[in-house]
Amino acid sequence: MGPLIQQGILSPEWDMIFAFIIGISFGFILEQAGFSTARKIVGVFYGYDMTVLRVFLTAVVTASVGLLYFNYLGWIDISLIYINPTFIWSAIIGGVLVGLGMIVGGYCPGTSFAAAAIGKIDGMVFIGGLFIGVFFYGETYDFLFKNLHDAGNLGPVTLYQILGISSGTLEFFFLIFAIFMFWMTIVITKAFSNRQFKY
Amino acid sequence: MEKIQEPKKYMNPYLAGFLLGLTMIAAFYFSGRGLGASGAIKSTVTAVVSAVAPAHADKSEFYASYKGEGSSPMNSWLVYEMLGFIFGALISGIIAGRIKKDIVKPPKITSRTRLIMAGLGGVAAGIGATLGRGCTSGAGLTGMSNLSLAGFISFMAMFGGAFMFSFFLRKFWINKA
Amino acid sequence: MDSRNTIKKRYYFITGILFLLGAILLVLPHRDNKKELSPEDLLLAIATQDRFYSPEDIAKLIISGDPSIQLVDVRSSEEFTAFSLPNAINIPLANLLDKDENGEYVWETFLNQDVKTNIIYSNGTVYANQAWMLTKRLNFKNNYVMEGGLNAFFENIMLAKKPLVSAPQKEIDLFNFRKAAAMYFGGGGSVSTVSSDSKPIEGTPVKTKKKEAKSGGGC
Repeated sequence: MGPLIQQGILSPEWDMIFAFIIGISFGFILEQAGFSTARKIVGVFYGYDMTVLRVFLTAVVTASVGLLYFNYLGWIDISLIYINPTFIWSAIIGGVLVGLGMIVGGYCPGTSFAAAAIGKIDGMVFIGGLFIGVFFYGETYDFLFKNLHDAGNLGPVTLYQILGISSGTLEFFFLIFAIFMFWMTIVITKAFSNRQFKY
Repeated sequence: MEKIQEPKKYMNPYLAGFLLGLTMIAAFYFSGRGLGASGAIKSTVTAVVSAVAPAHADKSEFYASYKGEGSSPMNSWLVYEMLGFIFGALISGIIAGRIKKDIVKPPKITSRTRLIMAGLGGVAAGIGATLGRGCTSGAGLTGMSNLSLAGFISFMAMFGGAFMFSFFLRKFWINKA
Repeated sequence: MDSRNTIKKRYYFITGILFLLGAILLVLPHRDNKKELSPEDLLLAIATQDRFYSPEDIAKLIISGDPSIQLVDVRSSEEFTAFSLPNAINIPLANLLDKDENGEYVWETFLNQDVKTNIIYSNGTVYANQAWMLTKRLNFKNNYVMEGGLNAFFENIMLAKKPLVSAPQKEIDLFNFRKAAAMYFGGGGSVSTVSSDSKPIEGTPVKTKKKEAKSGGGC
């Protein structure tokens, strides 16, 4: 039963091998989907290319539904997987900054690597900016970010725990939401195809 | 009507999303965790700072927390993952014939402007990803797949924020034909 | 356009599948994939012997009113009613693994949590150890054993023997603590071997029973 490393079925040395292999898959898929070019990524915000939303939602739906079914079938123990700890304020402000970076730079940290891998100089510059940003954060941490960094720590809590519902119930509503968003992407694409603009 | 056909065909987004979801399930199944990207940057910065100024790194709460136990911060899951990521993206680019050293930019924008914007965007994303404990891959994608509260908050903040800012930069990215 | 229609049909199909998957998840019962401890790991846990609290430890915790512990009495309910330690809950060993109608263990909310430290006791150590092994095998957390059980509790504390005057300071300190604890639990004094100011033991169990009349489990 998974997760194999956590359950001790495989020794921890395998962890890094898996990381590499999974990374290959991740990078391959992202580049194949077209996330290696900023114009395609930004398209979702301007209505001319909804690829980002489609890929993102499909991936989350697949993974979350898959995990829940795997858990039910006893193939994975869902209580052992990593749950991102919630730092409310950091998540919101940090998220908005990442969003700003996405619009200004046209990439997010992951996609910039894809772009850089296929030779896009703006992707490489974005990565350079990432290093500078992290370094800036590290240097100013003590007097600028420290309090914010740890504020609002709710721990590794899931949305269904907060709402007091079961994971299956939450997934159901999420699927409804995802179905709605998928149809919205079609509507938006149709609406924007009538507007002619160059991008 | 169709949008402008790309010269090289990209993978169907639903298929790509489905495969990406399978990849994430594999990550959870084998390593008990999801994907990520910004963490590799943090590890690298910590490693560089530790190598150049070890005393300073030890004193700083931030770097110390990323140094981890014992071995180098570069010996982390995310670093190996991103190495594989670059490799995978490279292979994909080669297969699709998309390897080309150029600058992706919208029309009517000079390369110089584009690169400056890319750099600034990177800085913002770097700060944001460190503060928010992840980027769209780690916090958003993985966070939502394991139904964590952090994932949903991060996703809404990232995409909501981007939508907000997109209004102000529309002149940059799109131009009326 | 024909291609449009096939695309539309595909989307409806996928939407239907997603909806179906979601509906199934909505009604799927929760599944806990708790793994049981392997025999080797259980043996290791037994051998490390770090599950024991001494009666003095327990006395200290009770006296100081430590809210983080929960005493678990695994003797029969008759013995429990006759006497039990303050605020202990009674889970007779025979009922430890009772299941409710959902197939869940009745006592799991007490025996598998990380809020309180459960300290299991019985008259001696045998039953408490057996209970501990069961919880360990089921990977329940935070369960420990009072070494020597109630017998040791009385012998060590209520009937603490005063050490010889020439005994090392540690022993004297231990005795003083035990005497104080005995007084807390309603014991009159101690049976001393040497000292002249010995007092006879008063009815220790009775006094203590009055104190714990309100106990009843509860978390």
